[in-house]
Amino acid sequence: MAFDPDERDDLRRKFCEYAKNHDPALREQLVTAHIGLAEYLARRFTNRGEPLDDLVQVASLGLLKAVDRFDPDRGLEFSTYATPTIVGELKRHFRDKGWAVRVPRRVQELHLRLASVVGTLSQNLGRSPTIGEIAQAASASEEDVLEAIEAGHAYRFTSLDAPSGSDDEGSLGSQLGEEDQALADSEHRVALSPLIARFPHREQMILHLRFFEGLTQSEIASRLGISQMHVSRLLARSLSQLRASAEDTA
Amino acid sequence: MTEGEVRLELPASPEFLRVARMMAAGVASRLGFTLEEVDDLRIAIDELCFCLVGRSGRPGTVSIRYVMGPEGLEVEGTGHFADNANEEPRLSPLSLQILKAVTDECQVEGGPDGPTFRLLKRQRT
Repeated sequence: MAFDPDERDDLRRKFCEYAKNHDPALREQLVTAHIGLAEYLARRFTNRGEPLDDLVQVASLGLLKAVDRFDPDRGLEFSTYATPTIVGELKRHFRDKGWAVRVPRRVQELHLRLASVVGTLSQNLGRSPTIGEIAQAASASEEDVLEAIEAGHAYRFTSLDAPSGSDDEGSLGSQLGEEDQALADSEHRVALSPLIARFPHREQMILHLRFFEGLTQSEIASRLGISQMHVSRLLARSLSQLRASAEDTA
Repeated sequence: MTEGEVRLELPASPEFLRVARMMAAGVASRLGFTLEEVDDLRIAIDELCFCLVGRSGRPGTVSIRYVMGPEGLEVEGTGHFADNANEEPRLSPLSLQILKAVTDECQVEGGPDGPTFRLLKRQRT
């Protein structure tokens, strides 16, 4: 990202102006001027099985946030300020999708399709479908289905000091009745381990309902208004984090 | 080795856990287990293997038998470790609680060959 001195002055002036008036046209110019940085950083994440176009889009979102938050008076170069924001956005993208390890595109696409296939099948059958039934409905082999499910669980076995929060936690609070809220606040935090108290509210609920109340994944899914596959993924992630933290504190 | 049995021997390291999990899922799906039952198995295998080898692995191997019996799927894993063969493996209260929810029977114990776990997962449907 090399700008000549004139360009640099011009951009600095625009940043100062934008910080004051938040003019959308100015914002557009600033984003366009630095899109190369977003593309450059996006390219560093291409070996993880996501198309570059999608990554550039994610990186651009990070860039947009950086433009909005940048304070030119602090004397920092914009690229220095924006890089961690953009990289953070890219990492979050992978974290949310759960592709911590490289997964072939074909399997990823199947994985994304499975959520709705499983949802429809469960509804029609009135029970959790077998792998064979899922394979048939998705026109895929059983092996591919198994691999696609495994792909959603591909979390690295690392300790995370702060379990990653879920962005939609706020909306969850409104879905839960008072009874559930009380339950979440007292009973199960004590009953479970103190490690669990550090998880986001939704993850705590899922762990409690599955392992202490004995609800099935589908029952939890309909209670929380998310798919069963999503419940399965969140469970796998929480458990992996729990094991890692348990060992750290042992 | 009997008919209806699959055996696997892996390095006692977390990177190979995925293989143990995939094998469990593969055998279970062959038996016609549902998605949620398969998922329960995965969780159980993860938990039990973690109990044996920890997060960073150990020198040695883990052998796992998957037996397709009349009652359901039985999985038995034994750690063959260079460092300490006669230890008693121990599950935390939380691990026990988790395993109770996802298996029908489950136990860990020390053995002549090394620490061993055993689980049974019945088929509901």
